[in-house]
Amino acid sequence: FSWKLVTPWNVRCYVKSICVHMRDPNNQLHIIKNLKIAVNNIITHPPQPGAIRKLLNDVVSVSQPAEGLVANVITAGDYDLNISATTPWFESYRECFLQSMPASDHEFLNHYVACMLVVSSSEPEPVEQFLKLSQEQHRIQHSSEYLYPKWFIPNTLKYYVLLHDVSTGEEQRADSIYEEMKQRYGTQGCYLLKINSRVSNRGMDEQIPDPWSQYLQKNTIQNQDCYEDCPYTVISNKNTDHLISDGLDSEIKDGLSNNFKTHPLQLDHPSGSLDSTDYVKATASLQDSKKSNSGTPHGACLTLTDHDRIRQFIQEFTFRGLLPHIEKTIRQLNDQLISRKGLSRSLFSATKKWFSGSKVPEKSINELKNTSGLLYPPEAPELQIRKMADLCFLVQHYELAYSCYHTAKKDFLNDQAMLYAAGALEMAAVSAFLQPGAPRPYPAHYMETAIQTYRDICKNMVLAERCVLLSAEILKSQSKYSEAAALLIRLTSEDSDLRSALLLEQAAHCFINMKSPMVRKFAFHMILAGHRFSKAGQKKHALRCYCQAMQVYKGKGWSLAEDHINFTIGRQSFTLRQLDNAVSAFRHILINDSKQPPAQQGAFLREYLYVYKNVTQLSPDGPLPQLPLPYINSSATRVFFGHDRRPAEGEKQAATHVSLDQEYDSESSQQWKELEEQVVSVINKGIIPSNFQPTQFCLNRYSDNSRFPLAVIEEPVTVEVSFRNPLKVPLLLTDLSLLWKFQPKDFNAKHDGETKELGACDDDMIGAEAIAEFLINSEETKVARLKLFPHQTGELHILGVVYNLGTVQGAVTLDGIDPSIGLQTGKFVSNGLSVRGRQDLEIQGPRLNNTKEEKTSIKYGPDRRLDPIITEEMPLLEVFFINFPTGLLCGEIRKAYVEFVNVSKCPLTALKVVSKHPEFFTFGGNTAVLTPLSPSASENCSAYKTVVTDPTSVRTALLSSASSVDFGVGTGGQPEVIHVPLPDAVLLPGASVQLPMWLRGPDEEGVHEINFLFYYESIKRHSKMCHRVLRHTAVICTSRSLHIRATVCRSNALEDEEGRGDSMLMFVDVENINTSETGVKEFHIVQVSSNSKHWKLQKSVKISEDKDTKLASRERAKLCFKAVRCKNSEGRFCPEYENYTFADIVFGNEQIISSASPCADFFFQSLSSEFKRTHVQSHAHASQRAAKQSFDETVRLIQQCSEVDLNVVVLWKAYVVEDNKQLILEGQHHVALNTVGKEAFSFPQKQELPEMVLLKFFRPENTPVPARPTPEQLSNLIKTSLHYPESFNHSFHQKSLCLVPVTLLLSNCSQAVVDVMIDLRHKTTSPEALEIHGSFTWLGQTQYKLQLKSQEVYSLQLKACFVHTGVYNLGTPRVFAKLADQVTLFETSQQNSMPALIIINNI
Amino acid sequence: MASAVTYTAEWPVLVSIIFSPPQNYPLYIRSVPTENELKFHYTVHTSLDVVDEKISAMGKALVDQRELYLGLLYPTEDYKVYGYVTNSKVKFVMVVDSSNTALRDNEIRSMFRKLHNSYTDIMCNPFYNPGDRIHSRAFDNMVNSMMMQVC
Repeated sequence: FSWKLVTPWNVRCYVKSICVHMRDPNNQLHIIKNLKIAVNNIITHPPQPGAIRKLLNDVVSVSQPAEGLVANVITAGDYDLNISATTPWFESYRECFLQSMPASDHEFLNHYVACMLVVSSSEPEPVEQFLKLSQEQHRIQHSSEYLYPKWFIPNTLKYYVLLHDVSTGEEQRADSIYEEMKQRYGTQGCYLLKINSRVSNRGMDEQIPDPWSQYLQKNTIQNQDCYEDCPYTVISNKNTDHLISDGLDSEIKDGLSNNFKTHPLQLDHPSGSLDSTDYVKATASLQDSKKSNSGTPHGACLTLTDHDRIRQFIQEFTFRGLLPHIEKTIRQLNDQLISRKGLSRSLFSATKKWFSGSKVPEKSINELKNTSGLLYPPEAPELQIRKMADLCFLVQHYELAYSCYHTAKKDFLNDQAMLYAAGALEMAAVSAFLQPGAPRPYPAHYMETAIQTYRDICKNMVLAERCVLLSAEILKSQSKYSEAAALLIRLTSEDSDLRSALLLEQAAHCFINMKSPMVRKFAFHMILAGHRFSKAGQKKHALRCYCQAMQVYKGKGWSLAEDHINFTIGRQSFTLRQLDNAVSAFRHILINDSKQPPAQQGAFLREYLYVYKNVTQLSPDGPLPQLPLPYINSSATRVFFGHDRRPAEGEKQAATHVSLDQEYDSESSQQWKELEEQVVSVINKGIIPSNFQPTQFCLNRYSDNSRFPLAVIEEPVTVEVSFRNPLKVPLLLTDLSLLWKFQPKDFNAKHDGETKELGACDDDMIGAEAIAEFLINSEETKVARLKLFPHQTGELHILGVVYNLGTVQGAVTLDGIDPSIGLQTGKFVSNGLSVRGRQDLEIQGPRLNNTKEEKTSIKYGPDRRLDPIITEEMPLLEVFFINFPTGLLCGEIRKAYVEFVNVSKCPLTALKVVSKHPEFFTFGGNTAVLTPLSPSASENCSAYKTVVTDPTSVRTALLSSASSVDFGVGTGGQPEVIHVPLPDAVLLPGASVQLPMWLRGPDEEGVHEINFLFYYESIKRHSKMCHRVLRHTAVICTSRSLHIRATVCRSNALEDEEGRGDSMLMFVDVENINTSETGVKEFHIVQVSSNSKHWKLQKSVKISEDKDTKLASRERAKLCFKAVRCKNSEGRFCPEYENYTFADIVFGNEQIISSASPCADFFFQSLSSEFKRTHVQSHAHASQRAAKQSFDETVRLIQQCSEVDLNVVVLWKAYVVEDNKQLILEGQHHVALNTVGKEAFSFPQKQELPEMVLLKFFRPENTPVPARPTPEQLSNLIKTSLHYPESFNHSFHQKSLCLVPVTLLLSNCSQAVVDVMIDLRHKTTSPEALEIHGSFTWLGQTQYKLQLKSQEVYSLQLKACFVHTGVYNLGTPRVFAKLADQVTLFETSQQNSMPALIIINNI
Repeated sequence: MASAVTYTAEWPVLVSIIFSPPQNYPLYIRSVPTENELKFHYTVHTSLDVVDEKISAMGKALVDQRELYLGLLYPTEDYKVYGYVTNSKVKFVMVVDSSNTALRDNEIRSMFRKLHNSYTDIMCNPFYNPGDRIHSRAFDNMVNSMMMQVC
């Protein structure tokens, strides 16, 4: 059973609430408020400096800001800072610091005033004990062996207390002893205290709060070192004290004074082993914890009345004992002083003057002493003033205290006792501040001087610190923050990190509390404080400081400072095991474009990885962490479907298709899309299905990613991820692979499967390829290609990448091995630190901008490039080209082979090819032989089909005919889509087919890129994917070869068998425009063929004797042919059935059958492209024409007569020397002749663009002149020819007049009835003409009017009359023609025929 | 490893910085020994408080005809911090070694004026985006020459 008696609680609670009255020396009533009494053990030792340091450290580290504390938000300029307004750690530090101050000789504030002697009533001889104790006390105070407990005045007040334990002791005995005591010490000097009215630990029905609970903890720590030797008497000392605190904040005051004065007092029941002394006062909890095993509450035996009794006891003690004693002492001291004053003042000054000479050495001694600390004897008169001042101060008589301090200060200064003076100054300032009503301003300079003296002269940092703490508190209460901050900062020094840290932090708070807050200074000092805290081992506080400073530096561009703070925060958080914070802080350093040098970044990275590793080790089963490095440019992610391209095998050249290495080109992708649309529309009979989705092999940021892309099962999906390393140190990613989610789905069965996430393990669904090592050098952007192999149909979602992030071992030489060797071999030495983590790929779609809503807000469309749908198997075609040339002459024909291979497990059908340039190639028409020769056999053979001809048949045409239908052209629709003639229309799995393919060099010189799109389908129809395509881009370089110009004109000769005027002359100009030096020696024209529906070449008009027409460079040849209308030209009536007549005129001895593949193929293709070109042009005029429909009719009729549709194919051979080998190249050129008399070219002349058109600012008058047939056209209506003898012999002697019969043949070329007027009269325009030609006259009718029906030939018999011999031109008749049914006159003189010369001879 | 801020190193240095008014973020920072850059940044950042104080102390009436040069912001044992504020509240701060006695107030003033002129030139560049960090070779050269002259 333990007895516990504790006073502190009572003291604080009670005395505080009562106003105590006291009389001052002048008998004025003085009121003391909140008097506090501290009770202490008599035997205490001055705390050891080390212990104090540890204690302070503990106090600070224990006090942490409350978790849920709502921090103040301070807005300063642009900064919103969350700062906790209170700093409890600082306050508890301050309390603890002040409390642990040892009592010193130069001041009396914590010297003992009174002594309480306590004896238990159970003691056999209590009165004896009191005596003993009293003696003991006296011994302690006055003998020199006890230095420490310092006493205020020699005759200390003794107060005798008899402690009676009600539960054990007899009440009568206690009372009687008390009576005895009263007699002995007087009622004022003793007290009977009864406690423990209740049996301990029983009947806990009455809940009484444990009055010790809040004090025990602190004091335990405090008293640890002094309890060891205290098996002593129960003498408690009381020291009333009132320490300074700012009057404003009573909270602080309480806290401040509490600690100082409270002390738990524990009375132990005497155990026999202790020498005769009975009561051992020990520190509470240590003893307690030895005895009571589980921290029994203190004061359990005390009832409420006991509490009251204790309170009463204290009150009694204060009123009866303490205060009167103090009052008395003050009066005594005052009397002493007054009595001394008059004398001493004058005496002092007198002696000073008197002994001024001799004083000098004394002073110097004093000064010497000053440095070590001048010591007055304890009873020196100067100290009496100070003593009185302190006592006044303690009883809150600040006015008196101030004046006393002031006087004391002067005295001390006079004596150069600097330590004393500083103490007096300090207290003078404090009491001046505490004076009610503040009659005088706070003397800040007192404090300054005191601090300086303490620090510089006395070298006593502890006192200086106390002084600063007080002063700063006072200044703060007066809102003099900048002064306070300056004071606080000035005291920071190297000797104590904790103190410096706390003071710097307070200074920082001062800065932020200023009227115009100095945010940056706050932040800076916070960082300094944090640094000091961390040096002092206060990690939590350090972290908090850095975090608060961070608020200021964050995001303001102070990257270096920010990095530093973040790094420190990271480290501190890590050591405090706040791993998440540490990670985010480190992450911050790494992601923000760091301007740190590489070494620093490397250190950051290593630290980061280390921390991260710890985090992951803590939760190994948690989700993979998101890694911040390297950066992923997710919009640059590309997804590619399909296998990688196979390299070319020898002569075989694989189709270029699409690969990730190609750059995206929007123009070409648009072209491919158009091509695909074309072929699909052809397949679907002209309609593009609504769900048509152009095949995209490679998805990137430019492609249309709004729909889910389709991938085929068992074909790889390659994802290209673009990584960027922002750091200046290389990053090593190991075991890099994709992260995906897969939902198996059978698209035919239509039932949903379960979702599988992250199936790195189940390779049966999706196989993933991992990159073992991937090194990204400093500040490098690098792409990684990662593959997935889907093995099941379903929906795949690619979520991100997963990898181990690590660094490369720096350039450190390990065991003499140069690290660069390691680098060269491609094996990077990771320094062991690596973290597994993931990064997600999130791609933002394009911004939507269609509707108004989308335009006004910012919305983004979906991007599905990472969410492919895996469909069932489809055939896969591979195409190889064999002997595919890279360079051609314009118009050259070359034979190549194409190999189609089906590499899938699915048969393939409906193979088609589409190209923008169908005239470039052909697979041969229907008539072509489908069993190709093997490519090797056909080498150096002609691409054409030839027949050896009879050399005699030269110059006459060989006829054949073919229909355009056979060649798949001319049927309208899409000529670009070409069916590939597969043997069985199906390509079985694994099968391959080689087909011949003829190529013709484009007519235009230069480099041509020709896109082929191969289209094919599976035999089975799938819901998701209907067709597949394969792309190929061929690059052909063409060089110039021949240039051909051709014209036709009507022949005037009517020597046709039928006598009809349908024959024409065709002139072909062939020019060798090849300029290249390489090899091409000469061109031979081997054949000229015509093909037309209505015309055919009949024969060659011999111009030169050369058998072959050879053209060396820059030579030109002219060929002339005669063309006649075909016999079967009546086929005009069925224009759909276009049957072409081919006529070949062979110059060599081999006829190339122009009506067969490939010659005819290319011809028809050129025809259709020609048609397309003219069609486009005619379209432009269509609107105009429609308006003038009626008028047009006539025009058309007129035009028709000058139209021809004759196409000429010139076939040639070129002799080329290449590598000392002669090669013969073949080729053909096409010329389409449409109009009589108009020149046509093998290659359309480039129209020169009008250089610059002046801008017109008025509206063009849109009144087109009625389409008038040109006179030229009109003049072609009627063809005339004169028939007469070339020379006519006439004997002018016999007859002076010579009559010659002349026949004028008129043939109507048009399809309409034409009125013709013939005027024979001479047109005598010029007299010279008469003389030159001589004159002759037409006889008979001079004017005829005729009407000629369509195609009618009319012969008119005329007579010419000559009078002289000579040469005459008979071509004088003028012919006018107009359409018969037209009123409007387009009467035009018809084309004047050539001069018809007649020679008249005289016989 | 980043060392904390201490006041010990030698500073034969000059730093010139420009701040844009709204956020007070640095537009340009240069220091000659780069090893202690962090300390510079802290110092300069902290000195902004003094600049603010000085500006507000000057009062509104004097804004127009006031002196742009603010003078010594604060001295420490090792270095001196000088400030300069343009009318548009762009701040220039310079830190020099306090042992460098050759630098009087007048020299500092003329250096600031030079800086100000160069800054004006930059602002006149139509391709410069006000508020961006300054990356101008001409400006660099000017600062370099200034630093060469000082050290």
